[in-house]
Amino acid sequence: MTVRKLVRTVPALLLVLLALAGPLLAPHAVDQPVTAPYATPDAVATLGGDQLGRDLLSRLLSGGAPLIATALGIALLVTTAAAALGILAALRPRLGRWLERAADLAILLPAVLGIMLVALAWPGGGRLAVAAAATVLGIPYAVRIVAAAAAPVAATGYVETAAAGGERLWYLMVREVLPNLRATLLALFGLRFVEGVYIVSIAAFLQLGPQPPAADWALMIRENAPGILLNPWAVAAPSLAIGLLAISVNLAVEGIAARPTPESAL
Amino acid sequence: MTTVRVTARVTDLSIAISDGPQLLTGATLTLTPGRVHALTGPSGAGKTTLLRALLGALPPGARRTAGTVTVLGHDPLDLPERELRALRRHRLAYVGQDPGSGLNPRMRVGRLITETAADPSGQGLRDLLAQVRLPTDEQFERRRPGELSGGQQRRVALARALARRPELLLLDEPTAGLDPALRDEIADLLRELATRHGLAVALATHDPRLVSRCADDVLTLTLTPATRRTPARAPRTRTAPASPAPALVTARGLGAYVGGRRDRRPVLTDLDLDLTPGTRTGIVGASGSGKTTLVRLLAGLHPPATGTLALAGTPLAPSHRARTREQRRRIQLVPQNPLGALNPARTIGATLTRPLRLHFSLPQEQCAARVAGLLRSVGLPSEFADRYPYELSGGQRQRVSIARALAAEPDVLLCDEVTSALDADTATGIMGLLSGLCADHGLALALVSHDLPLVGTYADTVLTLGGAAPAPVELSQGRVGPG
Repeated sequence: MTVRKLVRTVPALLLVLLALAGPLLAPHAVDQPVTAPYATPDAVATLGGDQLGRDLLSRLLSGGAPLIATALGIALLVTTAAAALGILAALRPRLGRWLERAADLAILLPAVLGIMLVALAWPGGGRLAVAAAATVLGIPYAVRIVAAAAAPVAATGYVETAAAGGERLWYLMVREVLPNLRATLLALFGLRFVEGVYIVSIAAFLQLGPQPPAADWALMIRENAPGILLNPWAVAAPSLAIGLLAISVNLAVEGIAARPTPESAL
Repeated sequence: MTTVRVTARVTDLSIAISDGPQLLTGATLTLTPGRVHALTGPSGAGKTTLLRALLGALPPGARRTAGTVTVLGHDPLDLPERELRALRRHRLAYVGQDPGSGLNPRMRVGRLITETAADPSGQGLRDLLAQVRLPTDEQFERRRPGELSGGQQRRVALARALARRPELLLLDEPTAGLDPALRDEIADLLRELATRHGLAVALATHDPRLVSRCADDVLTLTLTPATRRTPARAPRTRTAPASPAPALVTARGLGAYVGGRRDRRPVLTDLDLDLTPGTRTGIVGASGSGKTTLVRLLAGLHPPATGTLALAGTPLAPSHRARTREQRRRIQLVPQNPLGALNPARTIGATLTRPLRLHFSLPQEQCAARVAGLLRSVGLPSEFADRYPYELSGGQRQRVSIARALAAEPDVLLCDEVTSALDADTATGIMGLLSGLCADHGLALALVSHDLPLVGTYADTVLTLGGAAPAPVELSQGRVGPG
């Protein structure tokens, strides 16, 4: 069981380590041309060159850390806020109804539109503006999920006994309900991470968030799109990296989440 | 049946949690068509584990350490997933200790029963409902499990199990929480199913009456050394207080509704109740008459529609949230379903330590000794403090649940079917303990139970709740000494 958990977390750990250590491993500087624009792979540049002839491999190695950090930040904030609000909604149904109606309203705003609004209202915000928008827009969805998962836990005998026995709301939330939502929250974290990567990538494609000449996977896809026929790797490599990241993080989260222990069979 | 066929055979079966406690030791059993086999023994002896082994669904982490199991020609512990599913779908039926949680809360009674039925027609459904003595009207078929009482849920689960016409029926505590008349009917039903339809029935039970009424064979499991409990305290004899003290909890004109917005039904109307220090009040009534609602209402967990509550002369808020912590400490509830009463994420020790820290700010180093004392008082060994709820049997969990309520040193203890999952000896021990607390510390005890002999033995006064329109009747004032 524990071996399987380890095996599942290995790809994500490796990828994150590689992204962190990437700048040290990069053979060339990320902002100096070393070959022709959109050059095909050769001895100097293993994956060829990008739109300005900069080494694609070096930019790929350096471009993961900012994206991972942003997505991780978004996922952590969204999951934490949603856990607090969702559990509160389950334990206080009257307040919960208001919270859920508010979440329904917030969900009506399309994510891309919201991000564009924030980025336009905060022009110098860059990556931070996109992250803030993604966090605020992600919370309503996540609250609905946590509230739904917490509702049956809030109705169990142990939560009722604790509440009737004099426990404070805070203790009920953190010690009685939260530990029993572990699997849901981990799954939610994985989904919000992928969602974070997705939103940052879309924003970069719309020229919001990270700005050139920064090396960033999301930005690289957009920058190099015009030369996709000359050097396909210029777009394929960062796209693959983002895809691998999303899959491996979800695999790891699934590995960590304990399997539910059935109280009664069938 | 031309020749005597063996439905299931278990030989010297031992099951243990990997590097954990032994759940079952050396059980041997043969089930044949047309016979009812009862499994008895003290709680924690492995009755449920044996049933689950027959079903091929051991608790998480548990595995077979010795012995063989054969069910309808297969070894369920060794069968591929697909074949095991087919076996369970068509030839086995199992009704667990907490059947309510096995019923899909979103499905209506009619769908629940016909889902796996061999005869899904309306007539087949009504026959099954009549067989388990449930109402056969349209309105009942449209209810969801959440709108049924514990006893009704149990019977719906039984009807669902019977609907697929299994060859082997496995029942875990089929009569817990049912009133005696219904128990006898269920016993007769099982007897008839076995005799007339040639079913092999295995049932785990604490109820000697059920065993004597319908069982052909009895297997008594004994505790394995690791789980052997210290002897429970013997009941004390005591006399009723000469002059009744003023009531600690007074309820006047209580009324309450259950059910959703569309099908709200009154379960309690204009009910008066006094709980006096040092007395034991039995609350009895048919399944669905509002016994559980009444104790939940006193604990502040169910909103009353009408009426007032008071604790020691001070008005008591209807919701537990508006009560002070001291008021909440003084009224403790032991909930009905022992399986959901303990937080699965925390050890027994942590669960029992919490009230000590919360109400008495007891230093950490004294907690361990107090927890061990509490566990001993309910007849459990002190090593149980390190275990998680899933490592305990239903009866053991129920005792931990009682110990948790006692940890708060309450003045009023509300017990909802506390002895339903306990064997006779342990139940006597627990009731003796509670009676002792009543006599020595002036605890006011409210005892909800279907077990009329138990209520008759231990209760000073009895409150009977009627059907849909309950009328409180003082049944007996004459109290007898326990034992």
